[in-house]
Amino acid sequence: MDVTGEQHELRATVRRFLAEKAGDSLLWRQMADQLGLQGVALPEKYGGAGAGLTELAIVMEELGRVLLPSPYFATVALAGHALAECGDEAKSRWLPAIVDGSLTATVAFSGADVRACGGELTGTAMFVVDGDTADLLLVVAGADLYAVEGKSVRRTRLQTLDPTRRLGRLELDRTPAVRLDANVDRVRDLAVIALAAEQVGGARACLDAAVGYAKVRVQFGRPIGSFQAIKHKCADLLLEVEAARSAVEHAAATTGDDLPIAAALAAAYCSVVYTRVAKENIQIHGGIGYTWEHDAHRHLKRAKSSELLFGTPATHRARLADLVGI
Amino acid sequence: MSETDEEFRLRLRAFLTSSHPGRRPKDRADRLGWQKAWLAALFDGGFAGPSWPRAYGGMELSFARQVIYHEEYAKARLPRPLGTGVSIAAPTIITYGTDEQKDRYLRPMLRGDVVWAQGYSEPDAGSDLPALRTTASRDGDVYVVNGQKVWTSAADIADIIFTLVRTGSVESRQDGISYLLIDAHAPGVTIRPLRDLTGDAHFCEIFFDDVRVPVANRVGAENGGWPLVRTSLGHERAAGVMNQAATYRRVLDELIELARERGLTSDPLVRDRLAGFEMRVRIMRYTGMRTIADIIARGEPGPASSTSRLFVALFEQELHEFAVDVLGPYGVLDREDPHAVQRGRWVWGFLRTRASTIGAGTAEIQRNTIAEQVLGLPRDPGMPAR
Ligand SMILES: Cc1cc2nc3c(=O)[nH]c(=O)nc-3n(C[C@H](O)[C@H](O)[C@H](O)COP(=O)(O)OP(=O)(O)OC[C@H]3O[C@@H](n4cnc5c(N)ncnc54)[C@H](O)[C@@H]3O)c2cc1C
Repeated sequence: MDVTGEQHELRATVRRFLAEKAGDSLLWRQMADQLGLQGVALPEKYGGAGAGLTELAIVMEELGRVLLPSPYFATVALAGHALAECGDEAKSRWLPAIVDGSLTATVAFSGADVRACGGELTGTAMFVVDGDTADLLLVVAGADLYAVEGKSVRRTRLQTLDPTRRLGRLELDRTPAVRLDANVDRVRDLAVIALAAEQVGGARACLDAAVGYAKVRVQFGRPIGSFQAIKHKCADLLLEVEAARSAVEHAAATTGDDLPIAAALAAAYCSVVYTRVAKENIQIHGGIGYTWEHDAHRHLKRAKSSELLFGTPATHRARLADLVGI
Repeated sequence: MSETDEEFRLRLRAFLTSSHPGRRPKDRADRLGWQKAWLAALFDGGFAGPSWPRAYGGMELSFARQVIYHEEYAKARLPRPLGTGVSIAAPTIITYGTDEQKDRYLRPMLRGDVVWAQGYSEPDAGSDLPALRTTASRDGDVYVVNGQKVWTSAADIADIIFTLVRTGSVESRQDGISYLLIDAHAPGVTIRPLRDLTGDAHFCEIFFDDVRVPVANRVGAENGGWPLVRTSLGHERAAGVMNQAATYRRVLDELIELARERGLTSDPLVRDRLAGFEMRVRIMRYTGMRTIADIIARGEPGPASSTSRLFVALFEQELHEFAVDVLGPYGVLDREDPHAVQRGRWVWGFLRTRASTIGAGTAEIQRNTIAEQVLGLPRDPGMPAR
């Protein structure tokens, strides 16, 4: 689990890139062309860099810091990793296009009420990340995963709490689908670990913002950061952010049978931490933190909606309890 | 051929198992003898002081091996070092002591032959240590010490009290403090055990009444004692987190077992709480591992290690309080009651862990330190620089 120089380099590169390019409409293609980010953890055989989940987590963390509206999470962390778990045919069909940035994709897990019958899917799926725009939809039906062309599905964009993450509703009516050979539970575990990494990035950004502000905002003739009510809050938040980071780094380095445990733990812990830091960031910013213009609320919205996306913290804790035999 | 980490672990485990001193005696005096015999056996076997220099009888282990050491030690349920010298005074002596002081004090301390206690706090100087008032006035080649210390852990069994005393003017605050080693058996030293809220007498109050202390017992310069307060032995603390993670892994398993025996693990609220502790005990370990990685890569423990002490303190308080809840009405029973569950250990732990956020710097002071030293927030105008 040691953090190599290459991982530091990756983090620094992604951070610099996002700082320069955020808001650029060509960002998605540049992520693929210039940095190869879509393929960072996908197999080399299909054009990826073949690095591990740790590298993906680093990218997710950096994206989480800046709240980039981007199909990255859905395409790479959800669909890319789902496909990487599948057989050769599915991989060679879709992975190269994901890696080069020409295909976007997603996985429909939560709120999916979809039945499969004779190579066709029927039903609705809610809360599908980038579900209204993705080219390729991977849909969970029962214990199986199916691939569906985005064009063949009726879909709408949901109006959501977090404007930086698109969620869609899919309506399938005898929609032609290809059954994939993937372990849905594992796909979900990888997804929540990637999300937890994004949450750590967001949480750290909130903490940095709060600390930065506490150093410069003067009230009663002193920087507010010299008041203990603020100082202690920041120290407690650091404690939690660092603990969350431990959970994610461990989960990203976990393989085999321990993956579900590590995933449930990271999901439960990191989502609570992100929401808490996001709330306290607003508090520490006072009135300005409550304004639309300030970024603080964007993190709160991302945090709360991420917390609910793949199961609440309580459901993850219950799963952890089951898995460790409590 | 040099030994691998795994071989080291096995050799250590074999030693700890084969020389394990057996069950803890109930009688106080017997227990002290039992602990001293163990510490001597550990030292003579070459397994004392994982981070200590070899020159003073330590093992001088690499950081990774210190972690292995602490984990195995925690698992084996062995007596800890006596007093607070090994963890707190030794690093100071190693860094600032004269050669003569090092030769004279370090080995016997590590072997448990001479027990040390930390006499810093005074009734009016706890968190605000620079307010201390115990005076040491020079009389030729001795200091004459007068004053009072309080909450001194293990002073009743100590042979040497390492203290901070005022050698400067009354208003000199941290600039008039010296670090002095005082013989606990010297004339004029009175030590009285104080009962704490568990009913035990873990710490003491100490009175110094014209106690004559050789100037040679001063560590560091006269009036230069303050900077010595912060010294810690390399990464010992960080490695200690792994020890705590191993200990609390065991304790949590025992708590889960207790909840199961009482039929509570089917209650979703109990499961939710237990899952919360499960996460935190695992995170404790992951943080320890991260710290190792940071030390190996950068030579420094990184921010997580500065928060881990507080993380553990809050964890152990909440864990024990929850355990008492799990006991239901049995949670009202004292250790002495024959119906007490598991000899009252959970109830005792609930009381004992109140100290976790007070002793060795309160949680508030730790938060100040984290905020200022890690996050770089502005200093509290009232606080001295440490
Ligand atoms: C079990 C135990 C063992 C101990 N062993 C030893 C020992 O071996 N040797 C030794 O020298 N001492 C020992 N102590 C003493 C310990 O170091 C002090 O109790 C501690 O430093 C707090 O000081 P105090 O008790 O005077 O509390 P105070 O400093 O009076 O604090 C009271 C409250 O005020 C808060 N407070 C004080 N100052 C500030 C501030 N600047 N900002 C915010 N909050 C503040 C504190 O956090 C606390 O909540 C021990 C204490 C305990 C409980």
